[in-house]
Amino acid sequence: MSNPSATESPQELKLYVKTPKVYPREVDGRFSRLRVLAAWVLLGLFYVAPWINFGGTQIVLFDLPAREFHILGLTFWPQDFFMLALLMAIAAITLFFFTALAGRLWCGYACPQTVWTEVFLWMEKATEGPRNKRMRLDQGPWNAEKIRRKVTKQFLWIVFSLWTGITFVGFFTPIRELVPSIFTLEMGGWEVFWSLFYGFATYGNAGFMREQVCKYMCPYARFQSAMFDNDSLVISYDVERGEPRGKRAKNADREELNLGDCIECMGCVQVCPTGIDIRDGLQIECIACAACIDVCDEVMDKMGYPRGLIRYTTESALKGGKTRILRPRIFIYLGVLLALISLFSLVFFSRESVHVDVLRDRTTLYRMAGDQIENPYALKITNRTESTQRLILSATGLEGLVVVAPTDAIEVPAGEVSNRPITLALPDDAIGPGLHEIEIILMPEGSVETPSSDDEALAIGETRFFVPGGN
Amino acid sequence: MNVSENEINVPPPRPLIQRLGAILWPSFFAAGVATMVLFAFVDPIELAAISFPELEISRETGYAVAFLGFWLGNASACSFTWLLLRPRSRFHASTAERPRTTT
Repeated sequence: MSNPSATESPQELKLYVKTPKVYPREVDGRFSRLRVLAAWVLLGLFYVAPWINFGGTQIVLFDLPAREFHILGLTFWPQDFFMLALLMAIAAITLFFFTALAGRLWCGYACPQTVWTEVFLWMEKATEGPRNKRMRLDQGPWNAEKIRRKVTKQFLWIVFSLWTGITFVGFFTPIRELVPSIFTLEMGGWEVFWSLFYGFATYGNAGFMREQVCKYMCPYARFQSAMFDNDSLVISYDVERGEPRGKRAKNADREELNLGDCIECMGCVQVCPTGIDIRDGLQIECIACAACIDVCDEVMDKMGYPRGLIRYTTESALKGGKTRILRPRIFIYLGVLLALISLFSLVFFSRESVHVDVLRDRTTLYRMAGDQIENPYALKITNRTESTQRLILSATGLEGLVVVAPTDAIEVPAGEVSNRPITLALPDDAIGPGLHEIEIILMPEGSVETPSSDDEALAIGETRFFVPGGN
Repeated sequence: MNVSENEINVPPPRPLIQRLGAILWPSFFAAGVATMVLFAFVDPIELAAISFPELEISRETGYAVAFLGFWLGNASACSFTWLLLRPRSRFHASTAERPRTTT
């Protein structure tokens, strides 16, 4: 058991190497322009959508305090949770489908982590300069210029993060009321908290963690390989064509020097936001942003070599085979996706037209009116149809149970929620004391008034009727 | 002598930020899902009425407290997993697993 290395062991704690900071070089090209376009569209949606009103309500508003989701003029309630779950399943399968087909499109173009990192990098470039300058600045001493540049960058980052946090909260609290409330210092406590929380998360993730989120935290990065096969689109370096790599003069004869097309300019390594060398092969760190394709194409153009030394390709194609797009994997994902979309449509279009929630009155359990026991309730009637509904109430479940108030029809405008107090009454000798299950039935006005038939009912609410103990 | 062996068998600890990320992020995500599922079925006001009726608890507070509570709970579980998964050889070199050679 004696082990001479035991004393050396604590030193091993120091072996860990700090992850070196990645300084991605700026790049221009087909794919980077596409990436910038995607960023504009996605961030545009995020920052602008809450400001758009439609018919008096925000176009996208997850009104948690009122427990209502407004999306594109439609209103959803917690009862619609099943639809939300279905939507998430659809989103997940869509992700799987596109991964199998075209690789990590999500990571490179659409993931919020990528998009916000790109914006933060843009601000870093605007304040600290291009890659080489940033590296020199970080290594150099803290002089006036460094302080000025760093402070400007932090200022931009922080303002942008705060605005991001406020916009995020604006999806949950009407943003047109939220933003003025900042200046009048009337913002709610939780709104301040969540704005700062989301702002800080943006700042930390996009400003500092960056590629580390993809490398160490992202679950998708870990399991996306399960969706991959030899026919999935990946970004790859053409080893056959590129090797042996080596520097050479522009007009040098490759054949004579016995070199491949890779001139070892290190461009692909410098532009990589995750700091890898794509020439080492497909790696889990690669987020498929295609920056290396752009920079390599540019170099190939300069050298007069054909483009595509690094390109979107598939394992099959690299091995000289043909890429099969239509393959079982694609059909399975597509099948599941279509099934889920059909199910969602079915649920969506068969949403109940009227929904009722019955809440017992919190303050008064019951009151006596002569020989009648009266129970007060609050009805929350949701009209999901596009027309005004006039509803007649009735109550079943106990012999002799009647609706005392209201006696005439309740009117609920299209797409609105109406809160109504109602009173039910029961003769005091009808049943023993306790809480008895009853149902409140809502029927369209003018229908046959038979409380027992559910056929005409637009909505049924379940609750209990309280009968006090006799003494 | 054994240094190279130890280097193979005892990977260096991950940087703090990775450890924190691996604990805080999955627990954050799971807390978000749990909060969503819980409040899809339960109104925080009704929950407050049966738990702390003497306190004025708004829906916003209900959502926030539940989310932060779930996060804390999940993060505790994740931290415990991390604790259990640390290679003991890092702290007790004598018990380091090394390739079975001669002894």
